[in-house]
Amino acid sequence: MLLEKKLIEALLEAGLSRGADFAEVFVEGTDSTTLQSLSGRLEKANNGKLFGVGIRLAKKFQTVYGYTNSKNPDDLLKLAEDLSKSFDDKNITKRKPLMELEVGKRHGAKIKPSEVSLEKKVELIKKAYQAASEYDEAIKQVVIYLLDSAQEVLIANSEGRFVTETRYRVRIGMNAVAAKDGVMQTGGVGPGAGKGYEYLFDEIDVAEYAREAAETAIIMLNAEECPSGVMPVVIHNGFGGVIFHEACGHPLEATSVAKNASVFCGKMGQKVASDIVTAIDDGTLENRWGSANFDDEGYPQQHRVLIENGVLKSYMIDKINARRMNAEPTGSSRRQNYKFAPTSRMSNTYIDNGDSTFEEIIAATEFGLFAKKLGGGSVNPGNGDFNFAVMEGYMIRDGKIAEPVRGASLVGNGGNILYKIDMIANNLDSARGMCGSVSGSIPADVGQPTLRVTDITVGGKRGA
Amino acid sequence: MLDMNLDKLFKIAKDKGISDIQVYLSNSTNLSVQIFEGEVDKYEIADSSSLTIKGVYNNKMGVYSTEVMEDEMIDEIIDAIIASAKVIDSLDDAIIYEGDDHYEEVEGLYNEELTNLDVAKKISTLNEVDEKFHNFDKRVKNVEISYTETTNSVMLQNSKGLKLYNKANASYIISEVIVNDGSDQRVGFDVKITNDFNDYKVDEMVKDITQDALRSLGAKPVPSKNYEIVFSSLSFATLFSAFQGVFSAQAVQKGISLLKDKLGETVGSSLINVVDDPLMKKSASSRSFDDEGVATKFKYLIEKGVLKTYLHNLVTAKKDGVKSTGNGFGNGISAVNMKIEAGDTNFDYMIASVKDGIYITNVQGAHAGANAVSGDFSLQAAGYHVLDGKIGEPVALITVAGNFIEMLKDVIMVSNETKMTYYGITSPAVKIKSMPVSGK
Repeated sequence: MLLEKKLIEALLEAGLSRGADFAEVFVEGTDSTTLQSLSGRLEKANNGKLFGVGIRLAKKFQTVYGYTNSKNPDDLLKLAEDLSKSFDDKNITKRKPLMELEVGKRHGAKIKPSEVSLEKKVELIKKAYQAASEYDEAIKQVVIYLLDSAQEVLIANSEGRFVTETRYRVRIGMNAVAAKDGVMQTGGVGPGAGKGYEYLFDEIDVAEYAREAAETAIIMLNAEECPSGVMPVVIHNGFGGVIFHEACGHPLEATSVAKNASVFCGKMGQKVASDIVTAIDDGTLENRWGSANFDDEGYPQQHRVLIENGVLKSYMIDKINARRMNAEPTGSSRRQNYKFAPTSRMSNTYIDNGDSTFEEIIAATEFGLFAKKLGGGSVNPGNGDFNFAVMEGYMIRDGKIAEPVRGASLVGNGGNILYKIDMIANNLDSARGMCGSVSGSIPADVGQPTLRVTDITVGGKRGA
Repeated sequence: MLDMNLDKLFKIAKDKGISDIQVYLSNSTNLSVQIFEGEVDKYEIADSSSLTIKGVYNNKMGVYSTEVMEDEMIDEIIDAIIASAKVIDSLDDAIIYEGDDHYEEVEGLYNEELTNLDVAKKISTLNEVDEKFHNFDKRVKNVEISYTETTNSVMLQNSKGLKLYNKANASYIISEVIVNDGSDQRVGFDVKITNDFNDYKVDEMVKDITQDALRSLGAKPVPSKNYEIVFSSLSFATLFSAFQGVFSAQAVQKGISLLKDKLGETVGSSLINVVDDPLMKKSASSRSFDDEGVATKFKYLIEKGVLKTYLHNLVTAKKDGVKSTGNGFGNGISAVNMKIEAGDTNFDYMIASVKDGIYITNVQGAHAGANAVSGDFSLQAAGYHVLDGKIGEPVALITVAGNFIEMLKDVIMVSNETKMTYYGITSPAVKIKSMPVSGK
């Protein structure tokens, strides 16, 4: 075990000793490997070990948090005592005895990262490199990252929760650079999963993904600049879901809702989207990138229907914000590692299937932009304004996908874009992302079927 | 937390065939306080360390980093370094540095007074800020103030006898206010950075942030066309941050920088001077040596529009036959404190010179809407329409697009004041001849 049960109990007691009404101990030990290759040569093979303890105390809405990477009981007790001094109340909350340690059993790894030699990992990289570099002679550079991690967590709190699990993750990121006549364009993919190396060895073909990255770079190399203006935009499935993640997912997190800083405040049970929109955040999906047995407060991850047929059904809520909102937590509390106090975050978030087909949507669009692949983006939770980049885009003319265009970005507002979705296909797919917010950078899946937004501002270099 | 005998580590490494070794110990302590609706909402204290060990084995560099720093780890560390060196087939040299003759000492990178100042005083200042925001205007609906104080110390030691130490601290006040006039809601946001608590000018901070937010109420897109553009210090720094990687010699040598083959060439207007100032005061990033033990120094990256140097670490410098510029940090290369130097134009004069343009106060999506390889960008922006020299209607939900180099060449005015931003870049306001804006 990462830390002795007796010591954990002592830390919880010390935490409550001056009037805090909640105490939590989060212990983490993480092993990770990062390999990086450039043009087929392995440049980096770094191993790392993380260990630390985070102690969180709360009284009503007020929280204090501290962390250290000491294992020394005296250091840890001093930290708990220092934190407890933020409170001064004679009413001492009594700790509930810790339950029998519950071990998270889902989302395991068949082939653990520690069981795979560096040589075998390097083989995967070489295979991907070969596929991407041979795709076209205009591919000048291929950068490949292979990342794996095993994060063991032990979470205990003054309400008796006592759980542990090990979260395995593997991911390969492949970026191809194409160049011709002084112009450079890039394409990238990054498949990954919440499991072991069985994913990369047996379940997917990394070469196929590598060719896809190269293909995007080549298409964009030969593309024209995107025109700017307001137009219908068809956003493709998979990573297209980043639109919902950024524009609607973040404002549905209690982090912004509890403080009245979200456009979705006070909208529960009300219509916030067109009738065809149903959106879900599900941290229970087997072995998915954003899944876990428990959230980082030690409560089971859940399947959360956020929006159902256009009506707001649920926020994503952590324990402390739940108090502020007078609501139940939804098992949504997450953090990058022990250096962050946990808070409400997304897990695997997606817009559910509709009943159109991809072909129908394109055919029904006389003129517009087909955003086949999106890059990253960001949103201002205060007013819902968002933007994101189009990595691979095409014009739609007369109901057909026409010439490729590059350099486009989509700008809009999360509060009203959901009303502007007028067609949703039945081809739900998802993709991996790293989501950065107050509690650090965490793995999160985004997803959606192909869908159409009636009008959206497209920024591009070519005039309107 | 370093509970490891480094002499023993060095000895075992040598016995197992590692020719040279370097350890890099970094310690960070943090204090963070957040105020929400007049109360301490979050309080955080932290102390953490990590040890990164690099070892040369058969002329390849193996690396291991750990937060568990006990003698029992030594064998695991050495074995992992050898295993990683064995799979590396990069053509890069593996270099452990013998050291420079001189390392600059700068006073005041670590300000003990800041650390020692009573937490209660810090909290009362934050409460004062919070109260002043709320009292400034009744359209202020929501205020979130947080304070973060960081002390970073690093120790570097290697088998060539080098031993270096650096300690710096800084603090930040981050303010976010939401204003609402019943028909529109806008956010005001800013970060003040310093390692001297006396530098916080509370009234000025509250006024600047709130006024900007209030003025932006009702912001709308402008018609799409080309406009004269004035970037505020913050928005230009944000945009610049998306492209700071192009100065890295690593990116250049890999062929993934738009500055490749541009050394000595004009890459910007003659008004543009970009420097790396590693010993800049009041920055917690300031350092007298980099992570490879090379002395850092002040240098021009762009001088009067001409590209003077790339940023180098030991490996890229050897490849180019030059000396490292002391920019080997972490796994790669970065500037310590990048700074676009002030020019001589008064800001008010700059605005007055605009006939039909946009004063951009905020850009977003720099990590996504900017392509550091091609230089193309298209970013969400907000600010004000400037007509006949006067700041007018607030503007939002527009995108401003262009190419990094073309934009630098089109800089026609640089303001005479700079601001240190949370992107680690210090910038003045600049005026660009013309850029395409996409709005309605």
